Amino acid sequence: MPQVKERPKPFLFPEFCKGCGRCISACPKHCIAMGEEVNPMTGLVPVVLDLEQCNGCALCIDACPEPYGLQPTPAEVADFELQDPEKLFGLRHTEAPAPVDIPDEWIPLPACEPLVIKGNYAAAIGALLAGCRHFFGYPITPSTEGAELMAKFLPKLGGTYLQAVSEVATVNHMYGCGGAGLRCMTFTSGPGFSLMVEGISYMIGAEVPGVFVNIMRGGPGLGNIAPEQSDIKLACRGLGHGNTHAVVLTPSTPQEMLDLTLLAFDLAFKYRNPVIVLGDGYLGQMTGKVKLPPKMLKPGLPSWAVYGDEMHRKNLISSIDLDEHDLELHNLDINRKYEAMKSEARADLFMCEDAETVFVACGTPSRMAKGAVEDLRKEGIKAGLFRPLTVWPFPLPQLLPLLPRAQRIVVVEASPGQLRDELLLALSQEGISKYPRIESVTHMGGILPQQHEIMAAALGRQEALQEVHA
Amino acid sequence: MSTTVFYDRFERHSHGQGLKGHATHYCPGCGHGLAHKFLAEAIDELGIQNRTVAISPVGCSVFLYYYFDVGNSQAAHGRAPAVAIGHKLANPESIVVSYQGDGDLASIGLAEIVSTAQLGVPITVIFVNNAIYGMTGGQMAPTTLMGMKTATSPHGRDIYMGKPMKMAELIAGLDGPIYVERVALFDAKQRNRAKKAILKGLKLQVEKRGFSFIEVLAECPTHLKMTPEETEKWVKEQMQPNFPLGVKKDLTPDPWFEPPKPSFEIDQLLKVVGASSDAPIRSAKGFPSHIAPHDIAIKLAGSGGDGAQTAAMLIARAGINEGFDATHIPSYGPESRGGTSYADVHVAETEVLNPAAPAPHILIAFNAPSLAKFGPAVKAGGTVLYDSSVIHEVPKVAAGVRVVGVPFAQIAVDLGKAMVKNIVALGALHAATGIFPKETFLTAIRLTLKDKCALIPLNEEAFAWGIKSVEEPAN
Ligand code: SF4
Ligand code: SF4
Ligand code: SF4
Repeated sequence: MPQVKERPKPFLFPEFCKGCGRCISACPKHCIAMGEEVNPMTGLVPVVLDLEQCNGCALCIDACPEPYGLQPTPAEVADFELQDPEKLFGLRHTEAPAPVDIPDEWIPLPACEPLVIKGNYAAAIGALLAGCRHFFGYPITPSTEGAELMAKFLPKLGGTYLQAVSEVATVNHMYGCGGAGLRCMTFTSGPGFSLMVEGISYMIGAEVPGVFVNIMRGGPGLGNIAPEQSDIKLACRGLGHGNTHAVVLTPSTPQEMLDLTLLAFDLAFKYRNPVIVLGDGYLGQMTGKVKLPPKMLKPGLPSWAVYGDEMHRKNLISSIDLDEHDLELHNLDINRKYEAMKSEARADLFMCEDAETVFVACGTPSRMAKGAVEDLRKEGIKAGLFRPLTVWPFPLPQLLPLLPRAQRIVVVEASPGQLRDELLLALSQEGISKYPRIESVTHMGGILPQQHEIMAAALGRQEALQEVHA
Repeated sequence: MSTTVFYDRFERHSHGQGLKGHATHYCPGCGHGLAHKFLAEAIDELGIQNRTVAISPVGCSVFLYYYFDVGNSQAAHGRAPAVAIGHKLANPESIVVSYQGDGDLASIGLAEIVSTAQLGVPITVIFVNNAIYGMTGGQMAPTTLMGMKTATSPHGRDIYMGKPMKMAELIAGLDGPIYVERVALFDAKQRNRAKKAILKGLKLQVEKRGFSFIEVLAECPTHLKMTPEETEKWVKEQMQPNFPLGVKKDLTPDPWFEPPKPSFEIDQLLKVVGASSDAPIRSAKGFPSHIAPHDIAIKLAGSGGDGAQTAAMLIARAGINEGFDATHIPSYGPESRGGTSYADVHVAETEVLNPAAPAPHILIAFNAPSLAKFGPAVKAGGTVLYDSSVIHEVPKVAAGVRVVGVPFAQIAVDLGKAMVKNIVALGALHAATGIFPKETFLTAIRLTLKDKCALIPLNEEAFAWGIKSVEEPAN
């Protein structure tokens, strides 16, 4: 080759030209002109090149907005118009390898004495043991303490604590960090959780895991900062637009704050879906005995992550799908996941074997109900406590065996009936129409149902029953 | 120049079928294509294709991920910078590009872009400003020019709609960013500058120096209802005077972004959470069932500085150290800020069922209102301890309730530290009820003060005085 320095002239597949003409004004040699013939494949009119005067300056190429529009002519190609662009340019990039899972590793912990810590503290430790080293959050009472603890702990563990500009930013930080395949979380409370549900819908659509600990407070609106179970409906039925669900866990002791937060991360990654932990201010502040689990997690990296390295270059985190058929298929896949999540339904049963009065309660009100069960038993009343640890999915399989013996169900909750609604929905979705009368002991506004009220409800009804029998 | 950063075939564009496998979804002459090309070329030139994560926005460029053969993440409307930060902090070695249009960045995503820019973490933002909403069909954008007619400003943007946002200047005014430039695409010279700016923005990130922001004045021929050539002219003649081109900020700080790597060291983790294998010394012979068979309820009540919560926590800790279950809940709600401070404690042989203590076995009252409020609720046969240095009147209590006055505050003041009155109260609790042995309390106190050892002798003395004043009341 004598003229090594000769610059390649442009060439163009007419079917990849949109006929915008931006190359025309870019060419100082007037080599390019508007075409006159409609390209039958595109219905557009491509430009025509007359390269006699062309000096290979490439200005036209720089002006062309189409990736496969004007290109420098490859050296050895003669009849390029017959060829496919893929083959024409040879192997154009290094092929990214197929991503594989880097497995998680459980590391055994030495036996430790129980800690004496608050519920919020326990949830934060649960997250650390689950391998979470990234926290994003916005301060809101009564959840702030959890965030403060993470701010204190994480720098000592090489982790990242970022105070976001808002809850909206928080959930999107989580979308990014979870999308990169890492375990991240936030602590929030009702009004903040409301702001996050937009992003939770995106996370569900894009199948991004993440853990949300919502320390619920009184609502609606600004409400107050006292404990209410105000967000059961939002967490179970209202996670943003579209076909959304997430496992919703309801701890009731500091120990469960740890155990269920740990579980939340497991489930989030198992299903590639957000998981919600619903606590309340009372539980967050409650100090109790907390045992550490026998092991902690050193996370690997899932194959689907967009981590920003060679192995994961192929991946995409996205919730958009323009094709109706594809989006329906995606929703069917999501539904299959929701169906599978039903196997995660959990409940704790206390003195339920022979219970005629079955209390249904979760979170802090279940503690008052538990106290009531013990005292009612002393009075000779066969009471039991059915305590959902997941309110979505509702643990109906665990409840059904109790129904034949139960004379009534008393739902105890610090909400106008959000837990009762979940129970009723679960029953009706299973097509169960025969169940005992469902009564309620409820409080709102930050007042918790008290043990004596629960007992009074139970005793009052018992007496009424006895009167009927007499 | 051609680049290898675009996919060979755009499989995500209608499954790569037909022409869509090699053509963008953009309208003829759209500026996005050029911005994409320059970005792809810069990624190529820096050799960072494997490390790059591109964040697609909502708007016409929502499908950026159709084209770029890099890690892709598609964000909610306006949130791309927040998503970008999530990716960058997850893997600090990744090179993260947040690509946004004007509605996305300068309207719905203002909080995200401003806070991210100020945060200054090295990411690169490409902001394509074409003065209009493209994807939704030509509505007014925050950057729409005054007088410009759009679908939602049919009579032209007027003063009631506010003036166009100059984002490059706004971002450059923040302390976070290190490099801000506004470029354009309307002629060869501007395109060359645009290329260089995008390359520079990425390079600063690769070098871990900081946040960069490149605003690209781009053409939307479709919604300007002009030919691409006319649109180029319009950007040059109409947009440019409103959005002056050029560098708005250019610093080259030393590389700094080296966040620590996550640690999964067991010892470090246990230390951080305060866990230990050392079993506490146990002194109790068994559960103090002389107070209640399986579950003892205690209420402590006073005002903010009385230390009721600390004392409550110490009782719970003492109970747990002895192998029992225990809970402590502080009073909750606005009243806790109004100066009053209540705590409910339970100590149970196996499990605390209900942690609330509306009718306690034991009340410790630090002031008169607390005693008046909770004294009558104490269970028959229970115990009331109150601060006799501030309370002079005792309300009616249930039958068989033992009422013991101890001058908690006076003793503490005499010891030279008013704060230890709660420890005096614990001494009194031990002496009056025998709930736990003395050593149990002292162990809990020492454990709690293990980082402030100097305070231990004073607290031990306060505890001893509490015992003494129950066993040998002064008068
Ligand atoms: S390479 Fe230069 S001279 Fe040749 S057609 Fe393109 S712009 Fe014109
Ligand atoms: S700039 Fe590209 S797409 Fe536009 S007319 Fe020229 S070759 Fe065709
Ligand atoms: S509507 Fe405007 S911005 Fe959107 S693709 Fe078309 S020309 Fe580009």
